[in-house]
This record gives sequence, structure tokens and C-alpha cells, in this order.
Amino acid sequence: MAEPLVRIAGLRKAYGELTAVDGVDLDVAAGEFVVLLCPSGSGKTTILSMLGGFTEPDAGRIEIAKEDVTALPPARRPTATVFQDYALFPHMNVAANVGFGLAMHKVEKSERLSRVTATLAMVGLAGFGGRAIHQLSGGQRQRVALARAIAVVPKVLLLDEPLGALDLALRRQMQEELVQLQKRLGTTFVHVTHDQEEALSIADTVVVLNKGRIEDMGPPRRVYLRPATLFTATFMGESNVLPGQVAEATANRVGVETALGILRSEGSAAPGAAVHVALRPEQLAVAPAADRQALGRARVIDLTFQGNHLRCHARSTNEEGTPLLLRLPFDTPIEIGNEVAIYAKPTDAVVLTR
Amino acid sequence: MRRPFRHLPAVAYMLLMAVFIFLPVAVLIQYSFQNGMLPVPPFKGFSLQWYAKVFQNDRLIAALRNSVVVGGLSSLAATTLGFLAAYGLARTRPHAAAAMQFALMAPITVSYLIIGMGLQIVSNQLGFEKSLLLVGIGHVVINMPIAFAILYSQLGEHQANVERAAHDLGASDWQALILITVPMLWPALLAAFFISFTLSWDEFVIAFLLSRFDVTLPVVIWSMLRTGLNPELNAAGTLVFATSIVLVVLVELLLRRGRRANG
Repeated sequence: MAEPLVRIAGLRKAYGELTAVDGVDLDVAAGEFVVLLCPSGSGKTTILSMLGGFTEPDAGRIEIAKEDVTALPPARRPTATVFQDYALFPHMNVAANVGFGLAMHKVEKSERLSRVTATLAMVGLAGFGGRAIHQLSGGQRQRVALARAIAVVPKVLLLDEPLGALDLALRRQMQEELVQLQKRLGTTFVHVTHDQEEALSIADTVVVLNKGRIEDMGPPRRVYLRPATLFTATFMGESNVLPGQVAEATANRVGVETALGILRSEGSAAPGAAVHVALRPEQLAVAPAADRQALGRARVIDLTFQGNHLRCHARSTNEEGTPLLLRLPFDTPIEIGNEVAIYAKPTDAVVLTR
Repeated sequence: MRRPFRHLPAVAYMLLMAVFIFLPVAVLIQYSFQNGMLPVPPFKGFSLQWYAKVFQNDRLIAALRNSVVVGGLSSLAATTLGFLAAYGLARTRPHAAAAMQFALMAPITVSYLIIGMGLQIVSNQLGFEKSLLLVGIGHVVINMPIAFAILYSQLGEHQANVERAAHDLGASDWQALILITVPMLWPALLAAFFISFTLSWDEFVIAFLLSRFDVTLPVVIWSMLRTGLNPELNAAGTLVFATSIVLVVLVELLLRRGRRANG
């Protein structure tokens, strides 16, 4: 990676007994769309608040564009925040809200007006400048908050669960618009959410946090398909997690002895080590194929039709009666009570040592 | 089955309560229109003569002016001080915040008589004459905690976030205060001012203890009462009451508007 735009090192923050951020190191490249993802209350908002300058870290430093901003107040940082509750100025109209930052930066009035107009057009609110805030819908307020923050052309835009208050359809639409806007502006976005699907669909890089530490980070595809830790595998969507023991190990392949037999996949671990193997529900099949390995038989105990697929709970016929979750094609001929053979591609299996 | 009289006891109770509370005021108002020399039954017909007398009474008019000046200036001081205390406490979160809040609110629990006596003793020792200025200071003491409580309640987390947004966009502390906080708090600031004014307007004990030649309206009315009942006093009392009612309604409207704008 080239010289990062944002460099966070050893960041730490505790509130009394509770450690919200416990030693976070994170580099963000210029123009990157980073999403901090974690269950609520696990420090993602605290990290964002320290980036924006609203919360003072207990330890660590934050650099933006090679400048140490750790001790700078929000007004002197090259960041702008889209707040979760929007925090719009209710006594000003839309144009005054969007132009507020420019006025504070002493941008001349005629230029201010043209930039406000351009920014409003960019977020799909052309012609809304004269409206009062209380006349706007939730989605429109969200856009005003966004416009107000990007109007000052920040180096880093911080988004604190900005879509949390919107209904599902609008949230999906705004996710797409955010991605388009980010590509168009080329601004670095640091976005915080607890919604895994949102993180996967908008991020260039997903950072998974748990208990104030980074569990995993990388492109959404990699984080979803090859999670680095047990927490990530279970938090990022559903997984079948099988405890096992490393039976054989070569340079970059391991065979793990599990209740469903030996699974051979990529990875490295010491022979004899206790590990977990994760398989996504859609990676289990009930039909054989050339590259699939048999994993014994299981009895179907519950089936739910979900439109494009069947959600199937099954229990292995082995001694442990291992519970399994499958996502099968919707036309699979299968009934509750059936006994079926289970197959999976060994290469899909993720060996988790942590 | 419909039971048309189901609510009868509740309605009757409410009416009794209303009569208990408002009958004396209603009678006072009724006899301010008495067409006769005494504000006692029988009611001899409708007349505005006593109101005309009120407005010709120099003592009452002077006291009215004093009440407006004392109320206006003491309420302005109480609201300003209450706002600064609330803003400072809410935004800087000092170590002993809870203790400070308690100290700021404590005067509410002290009776007006004690506050008036205390101020009288202190001013005596410092060699100050009794005056309307002292009355005003007394009214700041009783009203500042109320203004503080109203304004402190408006400076919650959402308001703090809006101020954070202003700072984030480059505003200095002063700019955020003048451009964001004060305009957003206008309804609450006005409400605090008018509540203070209403309490000052009606206040008798402190005004009585701390004034000498120049007095406020309640003190004049009290001294006139000593010479006997007179419909002119009913008229003056009605005017005082009407002013209070108008101010209370105004405060209620302002606080509602504030809640809607920030809700």
C-alpha cells in the first residue's frame, strides 16, 4: 500500500471499567471506503469519535495526511462527520445547513451559494435549498447531513451509522448512492455500522471489531469467504462451525479430524492443535459432485421455503448428532424426516486457528 | 350496555376542585365590576369605574412601573445567569457537577421569607438602603434556579451533538454558542424569562421586606388593603391576575414550540 492517508496506532479508550477500544492499529488509504463493523457497543463509534476529535483517546495516536491530529479539536481536523441523529441545525433552512461549514471557513458568499447548489444536486436534493428542516422526510434529512459534511471537502468523511434510522428499502438505495458518491468524490470514507450486509455491500475494506480489538480486516469477499477468526466466521453471516483436531499438516494444507470426517483444506496449523472448521450453509450440498467430499449422512429436521432457496436444519447421523444448517436450491426434492448424504468442497472449508 | 352516568362522580369531583380553586378569583373579578362602593354582595350591576380609578391612581401606576422594571431586569439577569450556569455545567462536565447542580438548585427549597430576611440582614450590615435594586437581587436569587432548571433540561445529548456538528464544520466555541445554541434555545430562553417575570410580578414577601419608598404592585395593594375593602383593589388585583395568566399561556406555547422544533 502506498503511504496511508489515515494512520491509527495503538489507539485505546476506556470508560471506567469498560474498555471500548483496546489497542487498535489501522491504516486507511486515500480514496478507500472503509467500514468498521461490530456488534453494537463494541467501540466502533468510539473510534469514529476519536477520529473526528470529539473523544480524547487514553493512548495512541492518529495521523491524517502525515499530520499528527491526536490533540487537534474537531474544527481543525480535515474530517467531517455525518452523525447518527443527523444533528441538523433546525433553525436554519437546508441551504444554510449545507453552507454552514463554508461560512465558518470564510468562503465568499457567491462561491458559497454555487457550492451549496452543486452539493445539493450531488445528493439528489436540487431545489430543496429553501426548505425548512422540519419539512423534510427522514431520508431527505439524511441527505442534508451528508451534503453538509461533504460541502467542506473533508479529506476523510466519517459516517456514524448514518442509515440506521431508515427503512430497509431506503437503506439499500442509500447504500448504493453512498458508494456512487464516494467513487465520484474520491474522498476517503470511514463508515460505522452493525449491519453485516451493509458492510459487505459498500466497503472496499471491512474491519471487524470485537471487544475493542480488530478481529479481521480485508476485502468483503475475503472476510466473508475466508474469515480469519472464529468470531468473524460466526458474526459475518451464518456458518457451520465444527470443532476438530489437526490430523495432518503440510506447507499450506491441513487435514482436520471432525465429527463429519477428515476435512482437507488450505491453511496452516500444527498437528494435534485444536481448531475449528467453518462451512457456510450454501457450501453444504445433498448431491455428489466430482470436487465434493462426502461428509456422512444427516436427517432433515426442519425445512423453510424462503423463495430462492430452502433453509434446512439437519442433524448428522453420527454419534454426536452434529447440527447442520444448509441452504439448498429451492427445487431440491427433500422432505422433513428424509435422510440425506451431505457433501462439501473441501477447499470451501475454512480452518480457524483463533 | 351504555351507562351515561358512569363518569358522573369524576366530573363532579373535577367541578368541585375547579370551584374550590377559582371561586375566590372569580368573585374578586366579579366585584371589580361592582357598581357601588363595596366589593361585597349584593352585586349592584356592571361598571368600569374602578378600572378608571386604577389608571388615575398615581401610587398604583408608579408601583406598576416599578413591578415591570424589577421584573424585567431581574428576569433578564436570572435567565442570563441560569443559561450560563446550565451551558457551562452541561458542556464542560466538571468533576463536582452533581454538587454544583445541587448548589444551583438549592435556593428553590428556601422560603421567600428566609431569603428576604437574609438579604435584609446582609444589606443592613453592608450599609445598603432598602431599595428596588435589593428587591431585584432577591428576585434573581429565587428565579435563577428555575431558569437554570428549564435551560439545563434543553441541553441534552441531541443538542450536544448539534453543537458537535457545528464545531466539526469549523465553528469556534463562540460561533457555536451564538449561531447554534442560543437560536435553538430561543423558546426555552423566553420561557425562562417569562416564568421569572411572572414569579417576580406576583412576589410579595421579599418585595415587602426589602423596599421602602418605591414599592412594587403587590406591596401597594397590600398597604391599600389595610385601609379597607374597595372595588378599586379588586380591579388592580384583576389586572395583576390577567397579566400572570397571559404570561403563563405564553410560556406554555413557547415550551411546546421548543419541543416540536427539537423533537
